Amino acid sequence: MQLSQIISASKDVVAREVGGEMVLLDLASGQYFGLDRIGGRIWELLTEGPRSLSDLCDVIEAEFDAPRNTIETDLQALLSSLGEQELILANPS
Amino acid sequence: MDWTLQKPRLQKPLPSQPYDRWVSPAGVCMAEFHRAEGGYYLRFPGQADFLLSIPASGEAQAVTAWPLPDCDTQTVTNLFHNAIQPILGNHTGGLFLHGSAVKLKDERGAIAFLGLSRGGKTTLAGSFASEGNPFLTEDVIDLERRDGQYWLQPKRSKLRLFIDSARHLIGEGHGFLDEDRKQDVDAGDALPFADEAAPLRQIYVLGTDHSASLSIRQFSLQEALGALMPHAFILDVEDKERLRGHFARMADLAQDIGCFALDYTRDYAELPRVKAAVLQNLSAA
Repeated sequence: MQLSQIISASKDVVAREVGGEMVLLDLASGQYFGLDRIGGRIWELLTEGPRSLSDLCDVIEAEFDAPRNTIETDLQALLSSLGEQELILANPS
Repeated sequence: MDWTLQKPRLQKPLPSQPYDRWVSPAGVCMAEFHRAEGGYYLRFPGQADFLLSIPASGEAQAVTAWPLPDCDTQTVTNLFHNAIQPILGNHTGGLFLHGSAVKLKDERGAIAFLGLSRGGKTTLAGSFASEGNPFLTEDVIDLERRDGQYWLQPKRSKLRLFIDSARHLIGEGHGFLDEDRKQDVDAGDALPFADEAAPLRQIYVLGTDHSASLSIRQFSLQEALGALMPHAFILDVEDKERLRGHFARMADLAQDIGCFALDYTRDYAELPRVKAAVLQNLSAA
């Protein structure tokens, strides 16, 4: 996944914070997914509107204590996983 | 809600494919959901068809049932109360789950047991009732949220039991006509019924391994939501707006009420230990 790609949340997903973590329900498949604190923050940002992967990394770097390269690697992995489940859409910039 | 029972008729093939099905753990189709003009058509294979006439507002206008010729009235009535009513209740903003519940003595509130069909929910509730904790419901958990609590509503004052469970709970002499089918057993001194709503204290989700050792484990909040949703009655899995509302109500429930995984060996001799473990778990909460 390229840093310049624009990521958006699928409209078929509802999210709810439960006990400090985010639970996603894919209305299309009926499956549930849990996100940790950072994943939940990413989902919050995506529900505000499409963002580039680079933008998302910028926010996480500002709000969480982790090296930039770790953030980029982890977010790429997270978003790839969400993309495989069709919970997000990733388009070229 | 009133409903109309029509004359029996055969279940002819329907022109539409079902948009949803209920399938038992053994792979048997228990119900088919079809769209109909002005509502939905639910087919319970081998038992009855129901037409739910629902306007765009979502409030049910009418329910009509056509039993098969060899389907007795009690069976159709049970389907209406245990499937149709909770389905429509959730469709119109209610909170209904598939499970049993008992009201604990000493005014400690109610506990609910969720699980798959033939998972032991009714027998467990009956076992609690036999020790003075009257049952509130054996198949449909109807929750009314008010005053910051979830009030579990009493339903039918009967338990549907197989003969072996009936023998265990209340002994012999209860007149089972067919030993291979469940039969209604009325509430009474041996199986008391609670006819007033009680506040829900905790939910126990029965595990699917009937040989498992006894254990009780609290779900995380995320797990609890995932554990509750499969036991809810959903009429239209493609109605995304209603699903959003339903998800929100279930998430509130998962946050507000402790949910636990309950595993145990399905052996009548184990029930005393199971009950003791549940009560101890409740006391520790």
